[in-house]
Amino acid sequence: MKDIEGVSMRSRPLVLAFALVGVLLSSAPVFAHHGAVAYDMKKVTTLQGTVSEFRYTNPHSEIYFDVVDANGKTQKWVAEAVSVPAMSRSGWTKNSLKPGDKVSVTGNVAKNGTFTMRFASLTFPDGRKLTYERAEDYAQ
Amino acid sequence: MRIAALALLVCPAGLLGQASPPAHTSASPDFAGVWRRSRRAPDNKRQYTVAELVQPLGDPPPMTAWGQARFNAAKPNIGPRSVPFAESNDPTTQCLPPGIPRLYTVMLGAPFELLQVPGRIIMFFENNHYVRQIFIDGRPHSDDTGPTYLGDAIGKWEGTTLVVDTVGFNDKTWLDTFGHPHSDALHLVERFQRAKNDVLTDDISINDPKAYTKPWLSHMIFDHEPGWNIQELVCEDNLNFKDLQKLSESHK
Repeated sequence: MKDIEGVSMRSRPLVLAFALVGVLLSSAPVFAHHGAVAYDMKKVTTLQGTVSEFRYTNPHSEIYFDVVDANGKTQKWVAEAVSVPAMSRSGWTKNSLKPGDKVSVTGNVAKNGTFTMRFASLTFPDGRKLTYERAEDYAQ
Repeated sequence: MRIAALALLVCPAGLLGQASPPAHTSASPDFAGVWRRSRRAPDNKRQYTVAELVQPLGDPPPMTAWGQARFNAAKPNIGPRSVPFAESNDPTTQCLPPGIPRLYTVMLGAPFELLQVPGRIIMFFENNHYVRQIFIDGRPHSDDTGPTYLGDAIGKWEGTTLVVDTVGFNDKTWLDTFGHPHSDALHLVERFQRAKNDVLTDDISINDPKAYTKPWLSHMIFDHEPGWNIQELVCEDNLNFKDLQKLSESHK
């Protein structure tokens, strides 16, 4: 509990922590049954937030989370994930996330500036990480 | 061939779920199990480039005028001709059946279970639980086939190779995510072999003289996934993803 508070306090002034990992791909990756043209696949971003809803469903699960910006205003974010079978084979369950969970969410944000993201992974304050196989992770 | 078919009826391959599957004859190798298009970490057998991931069937042969016109009308959401999701006419974004061979690759290469039952081989796809029946009882193609999404499939064993011949398709599906078309004259010939390392290979010959000037030859590799069960994957369940896509592509 103390850890959670600690992370929360530390993350507050950071709010938007951008982690530029670099160019992953030069062409559009396979993304389930639709493309990733909306998202900036050249940049990976990590956001500190609080889960508001977890929709564990097909064909794409969705993770809703709140991020407090530098002005103290809450941004309503949603990260698009993949199908239930694909996530369950990587250890996810319907109970993996619950409202109020503090998480660091990593993914590719939309190019148009909306608070939407293509999910890659998330980390809990205790260091536990949830992710899954993404097609482009195997792209060489 | 008739005799071979009769022999298969008498000595069927193992039906998954039986406590003690019957012995397999050399004429009916064991292909049963859950398979998924290989996406594992690269090794000598499984090494994919970005191009192959995005375009698993490889480069198509030249198209006919009809094929080119259909290709030009296709608006994919993936690849060099990508348009925004809201403008795409990719049938799979509407949750329509992907057809064959695209069922092997769409939805991150969702797996299928191959079931061997007397007279048939069944592909039970995770994606929307589509079922493809391959009749191996010696029957010819139906006179009254299609047009259908998955076609009319008949097969036979040639040694340890399963040869599957499929016709009777409609022309509503694409062959790949890039929008390469096919017509209702599509004729697929697939040669499945179980190679070493629990790999199933499929040499696919896509014959469609209405759309292409010569056959499109492809090679696909499937990995055996012995710990997996086919799960539910209903495409229509969360159509909210379309709104999300539109939002992420909207002009602010």
